[in-house]
Amino acid sequence: MSSDADTFHRLFKRWARGVRTRITLRHALTGLAAGALVSVVAAAGAWKSRHGTWRPWMAGAAGVGLVAGAAVSLRKRWTDADVAMFLDGRLASNETLTTAVELRNRAKDEDVARAVVVKQAVETLEKGAAKVARPRVLRWEHVLIPLGAAAFVAVVRLPEPVVAAVPTSPGVQPVQIAQVEGLEKVIALGALATPDPAQRERLKKIAQDAEKLKEKLRAGMEVREAQSELAKLRDAVAAERLSIGDGERRAGLEAAAGRLGQEKALKEAAKALGDRDLTRFDEEMQKLANAREKADRDAAKSALEEAAEAAKKGGAPDVAKMLEEERKLFDERSKRGEALRELAKELGEGLSPEAKKDLEDFERDGSDKSSGKLAERLADALEKLTPEERKRLAERLKEQAENGGAGPMGKEQLRDMAKQLESPNGQKELEEQLRKMANEPPTSGDAERERGLDDAERGVGDAEKQLGGMPVPMEGAGSGGDGKPGDKGPNAGNPGGNTAGGGDNKAPGGSGSHHDTGRGNHKGSTNKVEGDDLRSRASGAINPGAAMPGTVTGRGRGRAGDSANVRGSEGIGEVGPSEVNGVERSDIPEEYREQVGRYFSP
Amino acid sequence: MADTASFEQRLSQAADASERLRKAIGKVLVGQTQVVDQVLWGIIAGGHVLLEGAPGLGKTLLVRTLASALELNFSRIQFTPDLMPSDVIGTNVLVMDQATSGGRQFALHKGPIFGQVILADEINRATPKTQSALLEAMQEHAVTIAGKRHVLDEPFFVLATENPIEMEGTYPLPEAQLDRFLLKVIVPSPSEDEMTEILVRTTGHEVPPPACVLSREDVLALRSLCRDIAVAEPVLRYASRLVAASDPTGKTATDLVKRGLRYGAGVRGAQSLVLASKSVAMLEGRAHIAFADLQRVALPALRHRMIRSFEGEADGITTDQIVEELLRCVPSRPDAVEQAVRKG
Repeated sequence: MSSDADTFHRLFKRWARGVRTRITLRHALTGLAAGALVSVVAAAGAWKSRHGTWRPWMAGAAGVGLVAGAAVSLRKRWTDADVAMFLDGRLASNETLTTAVELRNRAKDEDVARAVVVKQAVETLEKGAAKVARPRVLRWEHVLIPLGAAAFVAVVRLPEPVVAAVPTSPGVQPVQIAQVEGLEKVIALGALATPDPAQRERLKKIAQDAEKLKEKLRAGMEVREAQSELAKLRDAVAAERLSIGDGERRAGLEAAAGRLGQEKALKEAAKALGDRDLTRFDEEMQKLANAREKADRDAAKSALEEAAEAAKKGGAPDVAKMLEEERKLFDERSKRGEALRELAKELGEGLSPEAKKDLEDFERDGSDKSSGKLAERLADALEKLTPEERKRLAERLKEQAENGGAGPMGKEQLRDMAKQLESPNGQKELEEQLRKMANEPPTSGDAERERGLDDAERGVGDAEKQLGGMPVPMEGAGSGGDGKPGDKGPNAGNPGGNTAGGGDNKAPGGSGSHHDTGRGNHKGSTNKVEGDDLRSRASGAINPGAAMPGTVTGRGRGRAGDSANVRGSEGIGEVGPSEVNGVERSDIPEEYREQVGRYFSP
Repeated sequence: MADTASFEQRLSQAADASERLRKAIGKVLVGQTQVVDQVLWGIIAGGHVLLEGAPGLGKTLLVRTLASALELNFSRIQFTPDLMPSDVIGTNVLVMDQATSGGRQFALHKGPIFGQVILADEINRATPKTQSALLEAMQEHAVTIAGKRHVLDEPFFVLATENPIEMEGTYPLPEAQLDRFLLKVIVPSPSEDEMTEILVRTTGHEVPPPACVLSREDVLALRSLCRDIAVAEPVLRYASRLVAASDPTGKTATDLVKRGLRYGAGVRGAQSLVLASKSVAMLEGRAHIAFADLQRVALPALRHRMIRSFEGEADGITTDQIVEELLRCVPSRPDAVEQAVRKG
């Protein structure tokens, strides 16, 4: 009995040790597998987060897993009863071992069956196949150990991820330009004559800003800052161009434009005035002032006076003043044109072919430019006159003066001219006058300012190009097409637009402005369009004499609710006191505020 | 060492005795080996057995044959609706004492309960009042007549039969009464071969009853040995878990138990499991019981101790299905050990 119990105790202890060891090993391997998985994930995470040097250390997780697995196994260590039940289950011994283990803890005399049970248990253990009763150490999840190890090695050997280059903000690169030609034109605004002291101050301010920018560019600055400064200049120049008839004076401007538009010959001039394009307006006036027909000139003059009056009544004194000045110029140009025509007529066959061509040009376009050329030719012709021819010319002028003269060139004027021609010195004086006429044509101060501002605007565009940026497309700021081979001047090319021509001549084209038609060959024609193929035509009724409701001439403000047929009410762009300078107080980065502000400006 | 030899010898003798008994019964009764085994478990464990089966399946014959094979007093009570409790336990009757004074006195007229193997045939045909007359006898192995307690001779056991198909005019046994039966054995219909053998035996000359193979002392020795069978705590815990899982309000109750049962098996159920298992182990020559023994006796030991719910009855859920569900769902070993046993 005692020996059976001891034998059982010894045998069971050995079997239990084997079972527990294998179970501990299994748990440890499970922990190792989990740790290996964690190691791989952690190493991959370190690689991803660019802490590549940490990767080898992640192997520690596998070690921790191994220890944790073993610790869990020890904590959940099977009791003797558990081991006995396992062995009974595997050895199919009908709980003999379990009962024997249980009876071990009871008093000896309590169970008479104890001896038999222990004996049967000993027999069971002695005959039992150890292989059958071994808990399996390896389980399917343990395959993660070699896989995890391989994956870990692969992750550790992965090259560090390439750090993506941090993109620099656009425009932060520095720029340094010693000479910016375009800015010179802006600086020249400071010398522009203007009767308005406020405008003079503004122009001076623009010129000073341009000067400062020029200095900064010479010293070096960020491209975006330079572009921002140029944009400010562009806006200031554009605002100056549009200052005439602005704001409350708009009604006067529109009234004057409306009055001029009533005259057929003044339609283009009216449009130019509406667009506040004083240069074009002056050109239109030149044509009318030099027109051959006196009736046309009188009608234009009268329309100018009435337009000035309408502007004054409409609350636009600056427009009225400009129109009055234009009317004075109109008279002067008329007189000058008449004088040139009379002189050319009297000179008759004495004119050179070039002079005759210039006369034709003058009659055709009537510009100050062509009149200047004609005056130059006439001075040349006078210079070549013999004394007899000079006397005959003087005689003819006297006769015409006696006959009453023609147009604005009255008797006194013709008489003075005849008197001048009587002596060689007088002839010289007349020549000088003609040459002066050619070189110093009568000009409008407003038109001059407008030209200066146009030049300044183009200068800003050129400066932007020089900075390497794309200039803002705008009227008159195009680069023009390249001239064709064989074209003459540097400005040969097609006017207008930002298109890049395909000609071979690399010389820069014209400015692109409609003021500059270029001196190249403009001949050519589009393909013929068959009239029968045109099936549609615009048949909408046009309200004559006044702008359609809702239309906006130039770049003036519209009104809220404006449409093609409905005139809106309330001006847009009116903001509350709290909204003024809202962009400046916003979170918008400082370097972008200028552009955003311009975008939202009315 | 002597104890070991003695115990082994007793076990061996018990196994021989049961084998002899089986053979003796087998000479009369054809087939029904499982029923015979289960009845033997009940007798050896000292409990009562309820046999349920259709008429003509040999229930009564089994009991009569068993009584013949055992050297015990046999009584048969045919339960009928007009059977009175006094018809079962006996009563005092007034008798003339002619030999002496000629006076009259009460004398005990013992009922059929005063036997050792009691066949309560068609027990569900008697009224509950008469059925309950058996309660004291079954539980305490004693009866009280006219205020006087009479202890019944040991071994005492009741083998009751009931017919499940003729329900009209029957009185289902109350739960308290059912609980007194250690096992409820379902007697199945015989197979074709068994039926053929039955025809051969019953249509020829009458088969003589078997000879007596076990004396009263043998039976008592078997009962004593049964109680000596060892049980490990994990096995007892398994029995407890099985019974606890049959409680529909318990935490471990399965959905089927919750749906199909109103009350589960009680403490007597667990006791029956263990006692019957001991019989099984003993008859197989083992000194201890195993999980498998509990699983073998679970159906006869528990099926009559559970009360079905209305939903269970309506859905046709039987208590046998419940017991099978318990055996399937309640693990005999701790989970970790069970997994290790299955997977290695």
